[in-house]
Amino acid sequence: MQKIVSWLKSFNEWLAIAAGSLLLGSVLVTLFDIIVRQFWVSLGGTDELSGYAMAISTSWGISYALTCMAHVRIDLLRARCASKGQAIFDIIAVLALASTSIVVAYGAWPVLVRAIKYGSAANTTLETPLWIPQSLWMMGWIWFAASALIMAAASLLAFFSGRFERVNSIVGVGGER
Amino acid sequence: MIFFTSAGLLILLSLSIPVGIVLFLLAFGIDIFFSPFPLMRGLGQVVWSSSNSGTLIAIPFFVLLGEILVRSGIARRTYSALEAWVSWLPGGLIHANIATATLFSATSGSSVATAATVASVAMPQAEKLGYDPRLFSGAIAAGGTLGIMIPPSINLIVYGFLTETSIPQLFLAGLVPGLLLALLFMCVTVIICLIKPSLGGPGVNADWSRRLTSLIDLVPLLTLFGVIVGTIYAGWATPTEAAAVGVAMAFAIAAVHRSLSREMLLASLKGTVRTSAMIMLVVIGAYVLNFVLTAAGVSRALQMFLQNLGLGALATLMVIVLMYIILGFFIETLSLMVATIPIVVPIIVELGYDKVWFGILMIILVEMALITPPVGLNLYVVQGARRSGSFSDVIVGVIPYALAMLVMVGLLIIFPIIALYLPTHL
Repeated sequence: MQKIVSWLKSFNEWLAIAAGSLLLGSVLVTLFDIIVRQFWVSLGGTDELSGYAMAISTSWGISYALTCMAHVRIDLLRARCASKGQAIFDIIAVLALASTSIVVAYGAWPVLVRAIKYGSAANTTLETPLWIPQSLWMMGWIWFAASALIMAAASLLAFFSGRFERVNSIVGVGGER
Repeated sequence: MIFFTSAGLLILLSLSIPVGIVLFLLAFGIDIFFSPFPLMRGLGQVVWSSSNSGTLIAIPFFVLLGEILVRSGIARRTYSALEAWVSWLPGGLIHANIATATLFSATSGSSVATAATVASVAMPQAEKLGYDPRLFSGAIAAGGTLGIMIPPSINLIVYGFLTETSIPQLFLAGLVPGLLLALLFMCVTVIICLIKPSLGGPGVNADWSRRLTSLIDLVPLLTLFGVIVGTIYAGWATPTEAAAVGVAMAFAIAAVHRSLSREMLLASLKGTVRTSAMIMLVVIGAYVLNFVLTAAGVSRALQMFLQNLGLGALATLMVIVLMYIILGFFIETLSLMVATIPIVVPIIVELGYDKVWFGILMIILVEMALITPPVGLNLYVVQGARRSGSFSDVIVGVIPYALAMLVMVGLLIIFPIIALYLPTHL
C-alpha cells in the first residue's frame, strides 16, 4: 500500500506539471490575442479557451493538492489531540472527502452525456463541441475520486494496524501551505 | 435553516474536514432536508460552470506571477533599496519591512507569499542589528496581509466572482484603503519607537547617491504594478489579460536576474497548481452552496430573520463585523470569506449597503484573521522564518498592528468614501 501511495504522489506531481503547462499555454494564447488585436482584429474565443483551461487544470490539479495535503483544514481541535485522536480526525476528513468526490464525479457524468447526446456546441464563434473540454474535465474529477479512495484505503489500513503516525503522513495536515 | 447552515458549518469545520468539502456537504444537507425538489441533479452543471471561467483563470495567473517573483531573487534588492529610503524613521528597518510588504503585495495577490518572502529577507537583519524581535516580526506578519487588499488581489477576484461585483471596481476601491493601512502601520511603528526607542534599532544611513542608485532596483516591481493596474483601470485589459502580461514580465525579471532554470520553472508550475487547486476547491464548494441557498429560498428566510431581529442597519452591520472578528481567531482568510459570503452578502445588500464597499471592509476583517491566533497563517509563516524565539513573540508584536486595522475598520464604516472615491470618480 505504501508503494501505491508514493506512486500516486509522484504521478499527481506529473499531472500538476501538465496542468501548470496548460495554464502557461493559456497565458501564451492570451498574450498572443493581446498582441494580434493591436495590429489586426481580436481573435475572439480566447476567453472561452481560458475557461476550458481553467476547468480542466482545476479538476486535475485538485488531486495534486490532495496528495500534497494542501486543502485547507481547520485543525483547532485536531491539534490538541494525541496521535491516535489526530488519526481519527484525519480518517473522518478523508472519508468525507472521498465520498464527496464520488458524488461530484458521479454528477459530472450526465453533463458529458448530454453534450454527446445532443451534440451540444458552445454558443460562441468557435462553436466548440462541448464534449471535448467536458470529457477532459470530467476525467479529472473521476481521477480525484480515485485518488481520494486510494488515500482513504491506505489511511484506514494504517489506522487499523495501529500506525497512527503513518495516517498522519498520508492524510494529515500539510506543513507547507 | 439559517441555524442549520451556521451550526453545520461550524461543526463540520471543527471536525477538520477540508473547507471546500464542508461547503459541498452543507449544500447536500440543505438539499436533502429543506429543498422541496432535488437540486443535486444540477450538481455537475453547477461545478462545470463555476470552474469554466475566463475570469477565474486570473487566479492561477496571479499565483504563477507570485511564484516566479518569489524565486527570482528580486525581494532582496527591493528590501535593500527601500531600507535606504525609509529606515531613517524611528523604528528603522521595521519601516522597510512594511514598505517591502506593500510593494510586493502590489504585485502578488497573496498575503502568505508576501509575508514569507519579506520574512526570509528581513529576519537575518533583525538578529544581526539587535531589533526587538516582537515588533520586528509583528510588522512583517501584519505588512504581509496587505497582499490581499492592494490590487491585484486574489481574494477580491473571488469576492467579485461569487457576488457578481465588478472586479476592476473592487481593485480600484482597494487601492486607497490599502495604502492608508500601510501608512497607519508606519505611524504606529513611529509612535511606539518614539515612546520606547529600545524596541527599534539602527537604520541605514544612506546618502542621496545611494538612495538614487537604489531606485533602479525598485523599477521592475513598480513597472509591473503600473502595467497590471494601469491597463485594467484604463479599460485596455481585463484582469485576466493584465495577469497574463504580468506573468510575462515576471519571467523577464527572473531572466534579468539569471534565476530562470528548468527546476525553477517546474517548481513554480507545481506551486501554482497546488495553490490554485486549493483555492478552487473552496470556490467551487462556495458556488454550489450559493446555488443551493438561493434555490432553497434562503434569501427570504434571511429577510424574515432580519425583520424579526428589529435591529437597525448599523447595528446589524456591527453584529456582522463582530462575528468576523471572532470567527477570524479560528478560521483562515479565504475560507472565512467564501464560507460566509453566501450568507452575509445578501443581508448587507438588503440593508442598503454598497457591495464594493463591503468587499473592502470584509478584506480588512479577513486580513485580521490572518494575524489573530490561534489560527493565523501569517503568524506561523513569520515564526517559521525565525531561527529562534517563541511563537508568542510574534503574537505580542502583532497586537499594535491589529489595533491599527480595527481603526481602519472604523474609518471605513464612518467614511465609506475612502473606498468608494476612486470607483465612482474614475
